[in-house]
Amino acid sequence: MNLSPAMIVFLAVIGLFGIGLYCLLITRNLIRVVIALQIMVKGAMLALIFTGQLNSQPSLGQSMALTVIVADTILAVIGLALAVQVKRHVGSLDLKDLSSLKR
Amino acid sequence: MMQIEPLVLISLIIPWVGALAVWLIGDNYSKIQHLLAVIFSVIAAVASIMMLWVYKSGTILSFPVGNAFGDFTFTTDGLGIYLSIIATVIGALAIIFSVDYMRGSDQLGRYYSFVLLFIGAMEGLVLTSNLFLMFSFWEITALCSYALISFYNDDPKAVAGGMKALIMTQVGGVGLLLSAVLVYAFSGSFDINLFLSNSALFPKNVLIWMAYGMLIAAAAKSAQFPFQTWLPDAMEAPSPISALIHAATMVNGGVYLLARFYPAFKEIPGWTLSVMLVGMLSALMAAIMALVANDLKRVLAYSTVSQLGYMVYAVGAGGILASQFHLLSHSFFKALLFLAAGAIIHSVGTRDMREMGSLGKEMPFVRFIFLIGAFALAGVPIFNGFWSKELILEAGLSHGNPLWIYIIMLFVAGLTALYTTRCVWMVFYGDREKELHIHPVGKNMKFSLSFLGAGVATTWLLIAPFSEMMRKSLPIHAIETLSLQLMVREVVFAPATWIALAVIGLGIMTWFGRDSLDRIQKAYQPIAFVAEKSFGFERINKFIIETTNSAGESLRDLQTGKINWNVFYILIALIIVFALLGTGA
Repeated sequence: MNLSPAMIVFLAVIGLFGIGLYCLLITRNLIRVVIALQIMVKGAMLALIFTGQLNSQPSLGQSMALTVIVADTILAVIGLALAVQVKRHVGSLDLKDLSSLKR
Repeated sequence: MMQIEPLVLISLIIPWVGALAVWLIGDNYSKIQHLLAVIFSVIAAVASIMMLWVYKSGTILSFPVGNAFGDFTFTTDGLGIYLSIIATVIGALAIIFSVDYMRGSDQLGRYYSFVLLFIGAMEGLVLTSNLFLMFSFWEITALCSYALISFYNDDPKAVAGGMKALIMTQVGGVGLLLSAVLVYAFSGSFDINLFLSNSALFPKNVLIWMAYGMLIAAAAKSAQFPFQTWLPDAMEAPSPISALIHAATMVNGGVYLLARFYPAFKEIPGWTLSVMLVGMLSALMAAIMALVANDLKRVLAYSTVSQLGYMVYAVGAGGILASQFHLLSHSFFKALLFLAAGAIIHSVGTRDMREMGSLGKEMPFVRFIFLIGAFALAGVPIFNGFWSKELILEAGLSHGNPLWIYIIMLFVAGLTALYTTRCVWMVFYGDREKELHIHPVGKNMKFSLSFLGAGVATTWLLIAPFSEMMRKSLPIHAIETLSLQLMVREVVFAPATWIALAVIGLGIMTWFGRDSLDRIQKAYQPIAFVAEKSFGFERINKFIIETTNSAGESLRDLQTGKINWNVFYILIALIIVFALLGTGA
């Protein structure tokens, strides 16, 4: 089977996003949730660069991807910091233990 | 020269600012909370009274908010000012009364905030001319009534009563929403004045939907047939709140809505008759229920439903002025009766009239005030209830309205006199079996009560300026000026008045001759039994509430609170959206 480079990138985007989404759907560990989000965002970033390339505006796509990197880093930092605090206060990283209002 | 725009803004915004301020002060400073609530409500009341001199018809304030909702417009025609004065003045008096009544209670911040929010929402409801905004305010008043009825939220009965009020008025709110959406769909604007002046251009079937939607909304809000059971259950609230709901801010909304949209719908076949029937059935059933109730506040609640039935009937009969005038009278005497009842309950610590009796000796002031209110409710001359009730009955006779409904309304007037006498007798005269410890009545309570008592004796003198204001600012409603002399002459020389007076007198005499009327009493027993069960409507309303609750319970499972499921739902929704887009919809 002969894959064009564009097809490879496209499959990579779908694969990254799918793995992240699958991880987000099945995991209850807060750290893993952050990691799952990271993987999904990486897929989205790749998609941005890719569409920039396809529309022959590579610099636009790349600058968008850079912006996403910054936002993504902040997300990771805050998410992990929250995870640390949750661990300290609740004593567990399981999302199920977080919902104290549920009966 | 005074400007109207700042007055409207003051009376709209000040209650809300007050609500915020009282909340922020915190419950540790209850004295300041009392003071602030009184100050803010009095400012709003003064501002709305001042509007009387500078009213204008048409839109006077407009805030553009984009296309979807239309401009947020406010108008100050006769109807709006009328209702806004009632809401703020009675509201301010209820707050002044609360200073004594709620002294020492916990969570005053919550109490006063919701009361002020309630007043502000009612102001918005009656002053806006944007139907969407009207719906929003409509729902805010429902929310406030819920919060205040269940103010004692550790009492399950209070919580259930609040829930009931909320759900029943929401059911009616759907009717208003339907009308608002229809107006927007057909005219591209939510403007009420635009709709009223161009209603003839609307398709007939759309107007029919709107007319009955509005009727349902008004019936639910004003506790009319078949939604009448929420109001008596709302009696679990503190007494000033009952006064507020019954006289100032809540139930008047329905009558206002009907009066406001009457010109657009009066041509619809059967609509005016339905309105009259709703009013008549509510008035009749509530009067019979008031006759058998033993809870003092419940008797007053049923009498509210009954009197609102009169107002609704008057709108259906074409007597807009009579209905609004009775609304004013009713607001005053019902607020007075409720606050006086609150003073009694506060003093003796029970609401059961069978445990009261001969309280007149211990509380002569309250008896005097309560008697004024009771006379007005029964329609005894010269108090304001007499004049407005006669005007309504007169409107029911004219315009070619059906005679049999008029006769039933006349009969209800007699019943009203009967149950009022019974209530007064059981509370202030007769014998008391149990020994009751009686607290004195506070100074602020006395102030509110005296003010209202003076109002009950005198508001009917204001007929001329009110009717003049309505005539000038409501061209579509075609209201005629009614000067004081004209009204007095009309009422005194109409034979209908004397018939009504005879019926009222007969009603009062029935109570004193109750022993010799044994046979009639026996015949009345089955009716009394059914009336205590509120004619089976309790069950229907309960069914609505239980359905709503169980639907809520089953939908609750959708809210898992787990991120995995939420992401999954998002994914599903996304797929559905893409599928819809794919089909080219």
